[in-house]
Amino acid sequence: MDEQKSYYVIDPEGKLTCHKCGVPLVKANAVFGYLDNAFPVELPVCPKCGFVYVPEDLALGKVLSVEKVLEDK
Amino acid sequence: MDFTERSTRAYRTKMLYTKEELAARESLCVHEQPAFCTAACPLRLDARELTRLTAEGDFSAARAMLERAAPFARILAAGCEHPCTEKCRLNEVPGCEGVNIPALERATMRHGQKRTGRGLLRFKKKKTAAVFGAELFTLVVAAELAGKSYPTAFYVAEPDAEGLLSRCAPFLGEEDFSAALDELKSLDIAVSYGCELTREFIAAEREKYDLAAVSRECLAALDAWEPDGVTLYCEGARVLARPRDGEGVLRAFYDARRAGVSADRLAQGMSPANSRGEEGAMESRLYTDLSAVKPSQSVQENGAYTPEEAQTEAQRCIQCECVECIKGCAWMQHYGKFPRVLTREIYNNVGIIMGDHMFNGAINSCALCKQCTVTCPNGYDMAEICLSARRNMVATGKMSLAVHEFALYDQLFSNGEAFLARAQPGFESCEYVFFPGCQAGADAPEAVWRCYADLRARLGGGVGIILGCCGIMSHWAGREELYEETRAQLAAALEAMGRPKIITACPTCAGALSGLGECVGVWDVLLSLGLPEGAPSACGAVTLHDACGARGDGHTQRAVRELAARLGCEVTEPEYSGDRAPCCGYGGLAGYAKPEVAKEMTELALRGASGVQLTYCMGCRDRYARAGAESVHILELVYGAGAGSPPGISEKRRNRLELRRRLLRELWGEDEMQKPLDFRLDITDEARALMEERMILDTDVLSVMRHYRESGEAVLENDTGLLVTRHRIGNVTFWCKFTEDESGYTVVRAYSHRMTIETR
Repeated sequence: MDEQKSYYVIDPEGKLTCHKCGVPLVKANAVFGYLDNAFPVELPVCPKCGFVYVPEDLALGKVLSVEKVLEDK
Repeated sequence: MDFTERSTRAYRTKMLYTKEELAARESLCVHEQPAFCTAACPLRLDARELTRLTAEGDFSAARAMLERAAPFARILAAGCEHPCTEKCRLNEVPGCEGVNIPALERATMRHGQKRTGRGLLRFKKKKTAAVFGAELFTLVVAAELAGKSYPTAFYVAEPDAEGLLSRCAPFLGEEDFSAALDELKSLDIAVSYGCELTREFIAAEREKYDLAAVSRECLAALDAWEPDGVTLYCEGARVLARPRDGEGVLRAFYDARRAGVSADRLAQGMSPANSRGEEGAMESRLYTDLSAVKPSQSVQENGAYTPEEAQTEAQRCIQCECVECIKGCAWMQHYGKFPRVLTREIYNNVGIIMGDHMFNGAINSCALCKQCTVTCPNGYDMAEICLSARRNMVATGKMSLAVHEFALYDQLFSNGEAFLARAQPGFESCEYVFFPGCQAGADAPEAVWRCYADLRARLGGGVGIILGCCGIMSHWAGREELYEETRAQLAAALEAMGRPKIITACPTCAGALSGLGECVGVWDVLLSLGLPEGAPSACGAVTLHDACGARGDGHTQRAVRELAARLGCEVTEPEYSGDRAPCCGYGGLAGYAKPEVAKEMTELALRGASGVQLTYCMGCRDRYARAGAESVHILELVYGAGAGSPPGISEKRRNRLELRRRLLRELWGEDEMQKPLDFRLDITDEARALMEERMILDTDVLSVMRHYRESGEAVLENDTGLLVTRHRIGNVTFWCKFTEDESGYTVVRAYSHRMTIETR
């Protein structure tokens, strides 16, 4: 698998702030993992504490559908 | 016990059944057996389909069917001895006549359009064939061989085609004769008329061809041995001929077909007896329900049916098929397949080592209610197959935890935090123990409370109580290890109470607890004690739904009816009741695996129902109420403790905990102090609805918010001003969107996902 490949990209575009660190979230590398499968993505992440934000529509959309596919593997 | 996620990288498989075990199961399903008329026909003409097409007025398609079945379909239709008519099941209905299939065939040939076009371009075969002598068998054999693309020569004594046809089919009317004559002329057969069919002539000509068939007369002229009864082949003379007993029109067509099969084998240098498959008429094992058939008479055939007459006659056909199981099962209706096919697909699905398991959904959404074992005339047991498949999937690590995790944790909750097993105060050991079942405590805690009080007051010898789950959830999920653990836990609790008689309020619990002690239904106890004081005596009209857990338990079914009668219920039975009752959609954890299929089960169970739906299973009570029906469990009626609209997933847990606390407090004087929350936590109605739909518990939200209080981790949405935080509990990450003030939090949305997320 291409290490640089991202399955999904969200740019926070300055709309999100880390409540704890008080800094804007930035687009950064993250990995979704499920049942021993990994999917590199780019999501809004706090550059200080590393909090990764998964928005509701992503959790109930793409993430849920991939979960369902993997569950039947 | 905690459940850990499996890996899709573990490639394990375990055979579900041996070939024999699979075949034994599959053979019970008779849905694909031929109709009785079809089975009676040695040509296996699908008379059911022919009648269906005719009933629809599609004479051309019906005619095409006949023409595919045999050459000279006109002759067949005119002269067939029609064993099908006799086998028509309508004959068994008093005052009813079987469908006149031969008359329909004749009408079909008359009113249907002949197929146009030449069909596929077919090359002539290299092997050649000769046919000697005129009789119906040889005429049809010649056509069969020509149809199989063997260059075919036909030697007859008759001077012309008319003479040949009159000899072969003397019974033809004028119209049929001319049509058959046209067909004969159109066939690609080199007919030699006026031949002198002597032994020398036949023997000499035969040598010029690879294959040969002869009439009985020519066979006698050759002085050959009788042909073989199956292959119709005479070894010595190397010719095909019909056996001596082969009289009749249909038989001639059947023999011609068999001779054609032998010719193919001979042309390839094989023994004609090789792999012939099933030939000829057979006994059908099909089951047909005749209970709804109204007697009717055949339309008289005056000369020939008009198209309208033919249609009217064909419409009398009941299209024999066995659909007994699917009629009452929403699961089969959803997947649109019959048990044999379902079994094969499940078997194949389980056998997949790597790749998509497309049938997991079906395996996990069967209610395991065993209705099919009763509705199927052969007792097909899909529940056993689906449950075996689930256990197999668990054993090989192919079972997704996501499907059953909520239910499994619910069982652990019932038998953990909410578990209570106590002897009645003042008794060390008890004569009885009341086991209301986890759903009764969840849905109707007040009815359980009153029932237990009544049992204590009116039964001697001490009545203990066990609040918990019987373990059926883990059994349904195919997780036998947890099931056995639960049984051991319950067995220990029963042992500690001195092995009391178990009073159950749920037929499924009664089934699961059998083996752990003597079980008796609460309905039986109430019948022998009499109704408690204040019980109603005029409940009025109700529709009584039997629980699938009580299938095969006539005693419980009768006891509930008797109790309902004492309550003054005027009982109406749904279409499927007693042993044939369907599942409400709760069984087999179908609602967790495939909510849409479970919903269809509920709808089917409630089909045509109106008014009060009386149940004796809390699962049914809950699902019917959720579907908008007015439903009530019989204990709610007895104790006047109607539980109203069904509680949500979190409330169900709270109800169980609260019932436990109330019992401990009021019976044993133990007050479990609940630590109040040290902050305000409100959940909006919108968030609550989302949580219900997404199976998120109040306790999950509470854990997330507690985690936030400790870590302070959250994201601020600049445009909405909402905070978003998350916490992973077990295999799920829960997210809450909320507002914050000095007193606490208001959660406005909640969602979850199972994937883990890390930075890289």
